[in-house]
Amino acid sequence: MNIDPFLAWLESTTLSQWVVGSPSMFAFPGILTLHAIGMGFAVGISAALDLRILGVAPNVPLRELRRFLPILWAGFWLNAVSGLLLLIGYPTKALTNPVFYLKLTLIAVAMTLLVRISRQVFDDSATVTAITSKLRNLAIASLVCWAGAITAGRLLAYTYHRLTQLH
Amino acid sequence: MHDFQIWLVTTIGGRSAIAEVMRTAWAWPLAESLHFLGLCLLIGAVGSFDLRLLGVGRRIPIAAMHRFIPWGLLGFAINIATGSLFILTEPDQYIYNPSFHFKLLFMTIGGLNAATFYLTSYRRVFAPDAPLDAPRRAKVIAAISLCAWIGVITGGRLLTFYRPSACEGQQTALLLTCAP
Repeated sequence: MNIDPFLAWLESTTLSQWVVGSPSMFAFPGILTLHAIGMGFAVGISAALDLRILGVAPNVPLRELRRFLPILWAGFWLNAVSGLLLLIGYPTKALTNPVFYLKLTLIAVAMTLLVRISRQVFDDSATVTAITSKLRNLAIASLVCWAGAITAGRLLAYTYHRLTQLH
Repeated sequence: MHDFQIWLVTTIGGRSAIAEVMRTAWAWPLAESLHFLGLCLLIGAVGSFDLRLLGVGRRIPIAAMHRFIPWGLLGFAINIATGSLFILTEPDQYIYNPSFHFKLLFMTIGGLNAATFYLTSYRRVFAPDAPLDAPRRAKVIAAISLCAWIGVITGGRLLTFYRPSACEGQQTALLLTCAP
């Protein structure tokens, strides 16, 4: 399937051209900055939860960490929106690079792991507070996925084949 | 300060063995990835502790939450190490970059702010009979900490948009923001 006409249309939209072409620091540079801040809170809090499961800060009541979940999800949605804007800005750069799909897959797996971990430790029906080896494995997998997603994301700047339809 | 900046860039030079390794295809992207991982550890540990002081998860004892801090320090150490690699390789791109100056300023604020916490609030917050609600002073420090580290991230992320160009004419600002 040839998606080039779609990419060319996307790049011709006002929004795409604002993201990429505006001299304002609130355009591309600002969106990129929000993407890094959102990452810090989303991945950071998820990693803190994983570390707690793996035995760090053992006196923190595991269930109480659920209070931090809204901030984690705020970081996630900030990155979903800022990431979408970056994608609209450079659709060819991202969508023609396999590393981009690897990044998205790793994020999807990491978020699925987060939901599974949350169900086990935060749900009202979750009476089991003991940390099982299965829960530990989920936490380790979560940390590995986040590390992979961040690395893949960083590599996007170095591995793209085409920047835009014109270049 | 201008002379100091020029001296720094000249002294570092960017021609060391480390700089040569950093110029290989994979070294720089790998160091950047580690720099981002360190950022997440720092925010995950220090940011979460700040949020706890501000009242998020108020049933968690503050002293218990503080046990995450060594992981934030690990993230910070990773970032000092990888950040140094960047500066050792391209000193002029940082020493003359206004975004880097702001990044250092916010790092200094974050550091002094953390020192203030341990000097003024540590004992009260960590006493065995300490209330779950942090004192107002600790909350102010936590809010400053969050802002400072978000400022550090912003300064770092914007570096690439404030790359110094060659100087033209007499420079009068406190810090050089162009390459002489």
